[in-house]
Order: sequence, then structure tokens, then C-alpha cells
Amino acid sequence: MTALITLKGVNKYYGDYHALRDIDLTINAGEFFSLLGPSGCGKTTLLRTIAGLEDVSDGVVMIGGKDMRGVSANLRPTNMVFQSYAIFPHLSVAENVAFGLRKRADLSKADKATMVDEALAMVGLSGYGKRASHALSGGQRQRVALARALILKPKVLLLDEPLSALDKKMREQMQVELIRLQRHVGITFILVTHDQEEALVMSDRIAVMFEGEIGQLADPETLYRRPNSRRVAEFIGKMNFLRADVQEIGDTIEVDVAGLGRVSVQAEQAPMALHKGAAVAGVRPETLAILFDGETTERKLIDGVVDEVVYYGDMTYYDVRIAGVDQPLNIAMKNLIGRPVLDVGTQTKVVWDERSLVLLA
Amino acid sequence: MSLRVYAIAYLIFLYAPIVLLPIFAFNDATIIAFPLSGFTTNWFGELMTNTSLHAAVRNSLFIAVMTAILSTLLGICAARAGAMYRFPIKAGIMGFIMLPLVLPEIIVAVSLLVVVVQIFDLGLSNWTIIAAHVLICTPFCIAILNGAFQNLDPSMEEAAMDLGESRFSAFRLVTLPLVMPGIISSMLIAFTISLDEFIIAFFLSGVSPTMPVYIWGLMRFPASLPVVMALGTILVALSIILLTIAELLRRRGMARAGVKDKGGFL
Repeated sequence: MTALITLKGVNKYYGDYHALRDIDLTINAGEFFSLLGPSGCGKTTLLRTIAGLEDVSDGVVMIGGKDMRGVSANLRPTNMVFQSYAIFPHLSVAENVAFGLRKRADLSKADKATMVDEALAMVGLSGYGKRASHALSGGQRQRVALARALILKPKVLLLDEPLSALDKKMREQMQVELIRLQRHVGITFILVTHDQEEALVMSDRIAVMFEGEIGQLADPETLYRRPNSRRVAEFIGKMNFLRADVQEIGDTIEVDVAGLGRVSVQAEQAPMALHKGAAVAGVRPETLAILFDGETTERKLIDGVVDEVVYYGDMTYYDVRIAGVDQPLNIAMKNLIGRPVLDVGTQTKVVWDERSLVLLA
Repeated sequence: MSLRVYAIAYLIFLYAPIVLLPIFAFNDATIIAFPLSGFTTNWFGELMTNTSLHAAVRNSLFIAVMTAILSTLLGICAARAGAMYRFPIKAGIMGFIMLPLVLPEIIVAVSLLVVVVQIFDLGLSNWTIIAAHVLICTPFCIAILNGAFQNLDPSMEEAAMDLGESRFSAFRLVTLPLVMPGIISSMLIAFTISLDEFIIAFFLSGVSPTMPVYIWGLMRFPASLPVVMALGTILVALSIILLTIAELLRRRGMARAGVKDKGGFL
């Protein structure tokens, strides 16, 4: 794994507004990397500083070992797929895709035509070259934008919320296609998204950003299972939070968790340094379960009362009230054969496991 | 029914005076009155030989063309900045630029006369008229060009730069073709405003008058009235041809850019 992009102490100010705060980041060659965060967190600004569309106020952006200070967007080995796709409406599909080849005097007209055909084939738009670009659907425009960027064989492809304008079905289909495409071309992809599911599905690594800072940088599984702060845990997936009181920190951590009692957890279940005293224990809805009639378990049980039922077809989400906790626990249950959908007010037993807890300061 | 009557009355009110132009331009009498006395092309023949009129028309055309170019260039800069960048007190600045739209022309004319003659001690020439015409035409140009630039996706130019073009060629290759219909409309409007502008030209023209000023001069001699009618006929025909060309260009541009035609400025 070789570092392709390195950011050191990158800061960006818009007047008094501090858009990027001391960003240090290394992105490897061939990686599918995502910048994830709520709107206004600086993820698009960060992408644009890599593209050269924004200057950094302070700090260094290096691509392929070269300092990018003073290198404008047209001279950087990066290409971008814009959120609006920015397809040139006065040019045909083929002219759009060939736009970046204008400056390539070394290529003959026939070479360029072949490259355009190949690029269009790669994104599944063979035979669309002569079409007027304004007559394309959203998904097709997206593919043209991809072909237009990839034809230049950049070191890095930057994608700014490329799927946000598509409907759900199309979006899921494009996610798979983008992953396949990235493996096929082997180019580093940097994706900006506010959709945590999209980031989890597509990325090798994800940087979660809040207010101009990187909150956590990890692979999707670590990010989901071991979020290092409450805001990361809240942003990615659903999580129940329980008041906790750390008693003992050794090889294992002894902690009193509201509603669950004294629990002993492994040190890696606390991703950030802990102190004795008040803390928060997080637990994902799908790691809890309701014990239906006729089912048995070896795991621990607590009594609860169903407070709310949300039926999703494949899943049912229950809010279950347990003693000693103000917020009811959110529990996700697969609707397997023979499982009823419980009514509000049903007395039930909640199955839990201390291995699924994550302790946050 | 009543709506149709209203529409017809409106059209008569609007166009009847213009229809009178060619009728009297070909009428064989120096007095502008019905009944018509006969057909003649004499007045057009007189137009061809009147050299001082030719000079006035040349002046006006030169002024109108220069005004169209300069005010459209200024309009492009302002509209582009307004559409693409955010800057402090933008609304205030844009409003201030549009101010000449409501400024009485007589005020502009008098104050420019003072500035040119008293303060800078310059002679009056076609260029003093051009300066004043640019001042009054630029707001119109900005209004037209704003529409063209505001429909543009700002990431379009960035995409062109990202694909290897410099800032200027990104503008030339992407933005310019897309706003071309607006630019043509803008030049045309400025040209038309400048061509028939009288008050400013009257105050600021030097020894050689513009066409409207020359026509005003002719009005003192009733005998030359039919010649003015002939000249008006030619101008009307020319305007119709120009506007038709501009509208055709605009529609073609719209179709090429795939923008839904919402009816143009004209």
C-alpha cells in the first residue's frame, strides 16, 4: 500500500468561517475512500482542495509525492464527477466524453474516437455517442460524467455526491457498478457522501467528518462496530445509549450499565481512552433481540415492555422499555417464519450480550 | 368576444402609425394627408442623394455598433460575476449598476455635457455620445444577460477546468456557447436603443449630428417630411429583419442547449 494523497495540517477559511480544521490524511493508491458527514461538515470543500478548485488557506496537499501548491485544477492528475454532473448541454455525448482529450496533440482523431468508444463501453453506454446530452436520463448523465473523467486515466477520481440525484433503485444499482468499475480500472476513488449506508457499502476506508474535522477514520466494519465517539455512533446506523459508570480498568473493564447491571467488557470495546466514572455504553439495535415464545437462549435476559412497533416488511423495529433506563431500547428483529409482530404493551424478554457493547467517554 | 375586440384595438393602436410610414413614403405629395394622390419612389431617390443624411446615418450606425459591443461586454462581466460569485453587499452593488435604467436621460445628458466640456475640457464627438449610450444601455444588457448566466450550472466551467482547460478557455468553450443567444439579444437591444436615442445625442453630438438629431432638424421643413417617412420605412424593414434573425438564432441556441423555451426577451 503506497500513499498517493497526503494532506498535512490543511486549513481552509472563508472569511471568519473555519471550513477545514487541521486535516491530516493519507489516502492510498487504488483505494476506495469515502468522506462521510452531515451537510456543511467540510467534506466537499476537502474534495475540492484535492481537485485544486479551492486553495488551502494553510497546510500542504501532496499527490503522488508532489506538492500541489500553485498547481491549478487543469494540471492536477485528478478528475471529478460533479454533483450536478456538469454535462455540457451544447455538446453530444461523444463530444462530452472527448472534452478532456482536446489538448492531446499526440492522439489522432481515430485514436480519440476509439478511446471515447471504450470509455462509453466501460460505463455501459455503447452506441450513445451521437446522442444529444440534454436528452439523457439522470443515470445516463452520471455515466457520461464518469466516462468523461475516466477517459483521462487520472490517478484519482473524485466523486462529489454522485448518487444523491438518483432514485433509490438506480442509486443501489450505481453503487454496485461503481465498485465494479473501481476494481476494474484500479484508480483511487474518493467519494463524498452524506449517506452512511452508501459509504459503508462502497468504501475500503471512511473518514467521518464533523465541523471541518475528521471524527474517525476507519474501515466500514470498525466504524460501525467500534465508533470512537457518540456523534460518530449517532451518525452511522442506529445506536442505543445507556448511562454507564466505569468501576475498574484493567485487562477487562468493569462497568455498571444502567438497566443491564455490572458488566465486564474487553479493552478493545472502548475505542478511546476511558477514565473511571461516568461514561456512555452504546449498543446496536440488531445486537439486541426479543425472546419470542418457544425460543431459548444461553445469553442474558432482561424484562421489558413493548412501547412502540414499526413494521418494515423484512424487519420489525421495537422500542422496549426496561427498568432503570429512561429511553426505551430500540431492537431490530428479522421477521422470520413463525415470529409474530408483537403488540404495544406486550411483556417480553430482551436478549443481550456484553460483547456487543461499546464504551464511549 | 370582448377580449378579441380589445386585442384588435390594441394592435391598431400599436401598429397603425407604423403602417402609415410606408403609405406616405410612397405617396406622391409633400403634404402628409389623405386622400393619397399617387405612387412615387422619388422620396427614396432623394434619400440616396442626400449626403448629409448619409453622414448622419453613418454616425448613428457607428455609435450604435460601438455601444452594442461595449455595453454587452460590460454586461457580460457584471452578469457573470453576479451569477457565479458571492461577494459582500452584492445585492447593493447590482442594484446600483441597474440605476441608470430609471435615471432621466435629460439628466444624464446635461451632467455628461458638464463633465466632458467643463471638467475634462474635451470636445464633443461620437465618442462622448457612445460613452453616454453605454451608460444607459448597460443596465438593459445586464438584465438580459443575467437571465442567460443564471441558468448556467457554475460547476460547468469548473468541470471544463478539471478536464484540462485554462480558466479562459473553459469560459470560451463552455460558457460562451451557452450564453451566446443572450449576448446576441443584448447587443441587439443596445443597438436599437442607441440608434434612435435623441436627447443625449442632441446634447452631446459635436459638429456632425446623429440620425435622430438630423431628422429632428428636417422637421422644420415640411417639404422634407416625406423623405423622413421613406427613411422610417427603411428603418422599420431593417428592424423587422434584424429581430427575426435574432429570434431565430435564440431559438436555435435554446434547442441546442436543450433548455425549455420560456419565451425570449423579445
